[in-house]
Amino acid sequence: MQIIEIIFSPLLALIIGIFFLGLSRKIMARIHWRYGPPITQPVIDIIRLFSQKSVSHGRMFTLGIILSLAGSLVVILFLPVARIHPLSGSGGMLVILYLMLLAPLGIALSGGEAANPNTSIGISRKLLLALGYEIPLLLILLAVMTHYKTISIVQIVTVQQETGWAFISLPLLLSGIAYILILPAILGIRPFELVQAPQEISSGPLVEYGGPFLALATIQHALSLFIGIALFVNLFLGGAGNPLTFFLKMLVVFVLSLFINAAFPRFRIEQAIKYLWRWPTLFAFIGLIIVVVVK
Amino acid sequence: MSVELLLAVAFVGSLLTYIFGKISFRLREGFAVLISLALVVMISFLYGENGVESFYFSFLGLPLILRINMLSWFFAIAVSALGALSVIFSLSYMRDRERTDFYYLMLLLANASMLGIVFSGDLVSFFIFWEIMSWSTFLLISYSRGPALAAGMKYIIFSIIGSMAMLVGMLSLYATYETLNIATLSTFIPSASSGHLLFLLIIFGIAFVIKNALMPLHTWLPGAYAEAPTPFNGVLSGMLTRMGMYGFLLLMYVIAGATRALNLGSGLLKFNTILAWLGAITIVIPTFIAILQNDAKKLLAWSAIGQGGYMIVGIALGTSLGLAGGIFHTLNHAIYIVLLFMCVGAIQYRTGGERDLNSLGGFIKKMPVAFIGALLGISGLIGIPLTNGFVSKWLIYKTLILEGYPFLAFAALIGTWGCILYCYKFIHHVFLGQLPEKYHNVQKAPFSMHFPMIILSLAILLFGILPGIPLKVINTIGISFGFESLNVTIWGIASETGALNTINLFAAILLGCIVVGLILKAGPKAISVAQEDTYAAGAAIPKDKYHYTVDFYNPLYRMISPYFRDFIDSFYSKLVEWIQNLCGGARRIYTGYVGHYVMYIVLFVAVLIFIQMRWSLW
Repeated sequence: MQIIEIIFSPLLALIIGIFFLGLSRKIMARIHWRYGPPITQPVIDIIRLFSQKSVSHGRMFTLGIILSLAGSLVVILFLPVARIHPLSGSGGMLVILYLMLLAPLGIALSGGEAANPNTSIGISRKLLLALGYEIPLLLILLAVMTHYKTISIVQIVTVQQETGWAFISLPLLLSGIAYILILPAILGIRPFELVQAPQEISSGPLVEYGGPFLALATIQHALSLFIGIALFVNLFLGGAGNPLTFFLKMLVVFVLSLFINAAFPRFRIEQAIKYLWRWPTLFAFIGLIIVVVVK
Repeated sequence: MSVELLLAVAFVGSLLTYIFGKISFRLREGFAVLISLALVVMISFLYGENGVESFYFSFLGLPLILRINMLSWFFAIAVSALGALSVIFSLSYMRDRERTDFYYLMLLLANASMLGIVFSGDLVSFFIFWEIMSWSTFLLISYSRGPALAAGMKYIIFSIIGSMAMLVGMLSLYATYETLNIATLSTFIPSASSGHLLFLLIIFGIAFVIKNALMPLHTWLPGAYAEAPTPFNGVLSGMLTRMGMYGFLLLMYVIAGATRALNLGSGLLKFNTILAWLGAITIVIPTFIAILQNDAKKLLAWSAIGQGGYMIVGIALGTSLGLAGGIFHTLNHAIYIVLLFMCVGAIQYRTGGERDLNSLGGFIKKMPVAFIGALLGISGLIGIPLTNGFVSKWLIYKTLILEGYPFLAFAALIGTWGCILYCYKFIHHVFLGQLPEKYHNVQKAPFSMHFPMIILSLAILLFGILPGIPLKVINTIGISFGFESLNVTIWGIASETGALNTINLFAAILLGCIVVGLILKAGPKAISVAQEDTYAAGAAIPKDKYHYTVDFYNPLYRMISPYFRDFIDSFYSKLVEWIQNLCGGARRIYTGYVGHYVMYIVLFVAVLIFIQMRWSLW
């Protein structure tokens, strides 16, 4: 049973993630009054990329991208997707937090081996942006973990299914709002698209990837979309009893964040950090104080 | 096998090394390695022994006592193993330098004195060994003269302040209980008054806080780490600084006892809560200062200060999980920081002492073993799953969250996320990035450098995948302090509120990597190209003209550099300046010219005569 879950849950994540990629292009196009590519375009792209040539700058260049994607896949094994969470018994929220590091670090180590200024700028921005949103995110996660007195994400979901969503329970409301405020930064969409910034630093960390490497990087991007939203659904929207409800909840969150993506221009990195360390951090901080006081 | 024999071997061995050095350098090197390995073997045979031995040398009528238990064994094995690896690493690094006999003497002496500290059973011998350690360290830090001498002076001044505080504490203990035997004291102290106990904890705490470089008494460390000879950094950063941790464990849980040490004070103003908060501050501020450093050794030094904070937070809260985390983190940190310093040492050895991050880069292809070492080292430092640092940090976080200290947990977690930035900076600027033209012919490091790096890399993985091995020992220490036993298995810790299974984690990551690797392999093979052969989006990049690592975190630097300077260090410098002015004033009076002194005496007598004649006081 566990084996089936171990295969099924990353596969589900992959399908949802890639669907989101296609959907985002379609919705963005419609907001721009364009027709847009078919919704299966990312799948076509990935298949095409696998047949194309690529260059490698060395062992770490290859290993880094493998590590990055593997890291994302492993996170999904620990994350409850509806009731599927094959490895959650081996580590809780803290393990997820740490495993989420592997993806950006892998890309950074891989890109670092190439001597490309765009990669270098992109990685620097990615790490700074991560530091920017991790500060409110950690406060939010600590508020949730302190409120439910557990470090197991499965338990957090279970309790919510019995007592109602965390988002509408009063002590965690501010933390939930803070999470929404930083969600675009976690997903890397506008106004926080500065890591890739195609017009400016030609896709930043991804600039050296071609062929299969770019395919893996795209899949990794899809999975990171999935993880960012699934974490929010699990922590604040009570997870779900079946995959369909889970998917619908994710879809709503994703489409809402796409509207933000369509409406905003790009921040500079300083502006992004200033924004992240101001309102979301303040909300998350007050949220944590409320949780500690209420308890 | 007994402890006094062990200490005799350690001390006599260090002196003999010096003498042999006068005969031939090969003999000296061989003997130094032999002695340090012999110590490791001897200590490993002492595993699980408990015992006390007294020697009536009658120093002030006090017996000198040696004792061994699990706590001292744990620290001793780490000291001796890391010491041996540092000696091996020193071989080629120090070969062509001057005063090498002296270097080895002091290195082995520092190791021997640390063994003395952990095996001493009374505070007099503890103090004596502590002083030998401080002075030999001072001589080694200032080994290179110049700026190193200033760093060494700073270190020894702080050390002396610490020792004096400890001496006052010892006098107070002796005056009250008329004994300095640790075992006897631990039966007396629990009945001491709260005021006296608090005084003792603070006065001894000053010595240990200085040694463990906790804020605000950390300022000796960055200079000392940066200027010490790099192979000695292995000893200095690994265990020598952490003697402060041993001191705290001894003070809080052996002498004072857990029940007294943890309930001193009331509300938020408890001794251990304040200590934990000092630890938290020590995690956050040095982490951000480390991000701003451009010197490889300074960066590691600031990171070492920050990691010291984790250990203190872990042991200060006084739960069995936190204690295990704190002690385990001491060992883990020692392993990976020594490894990272060795990587810097290998680079320095091959580049002629270069340690400026902005002038290095691209050494991955030139020194692959050092790169793998550095990669595992930073992984441990960040605490990526499968490395030892992850397990100990996990234990500390879990304690903080479940015991209801979310703000302390926040400080600890922020430390980790800042750590990623400086760790990546370290590995990117040294091993990834562009290889400067002048280093195109750099050789890889010699075997005597590779060997300790490989051993430490393996240790990081071993303790990360099978953390049960050291945790079993640590659990025994916790039980001896009177804490409940942890449910330790070979692959982690089981509990209802969140388990950890490192074997499953390992299997999952390995499987993930294999699956993705196979998918990648199924595609067309990538063409291997040179590092400079990149896509520049239509713009031509001039070769070897730009170095992309300079100002890597410039946006952050501009934002935080006004707030994250070492204000405390500036404060001490101001204090020193002020004292110098004061002494300068005094020097105007004490001219050293006899005529002036005669004049002072005559004037003084004249004043006395005047007073007597005017008011007839006498």
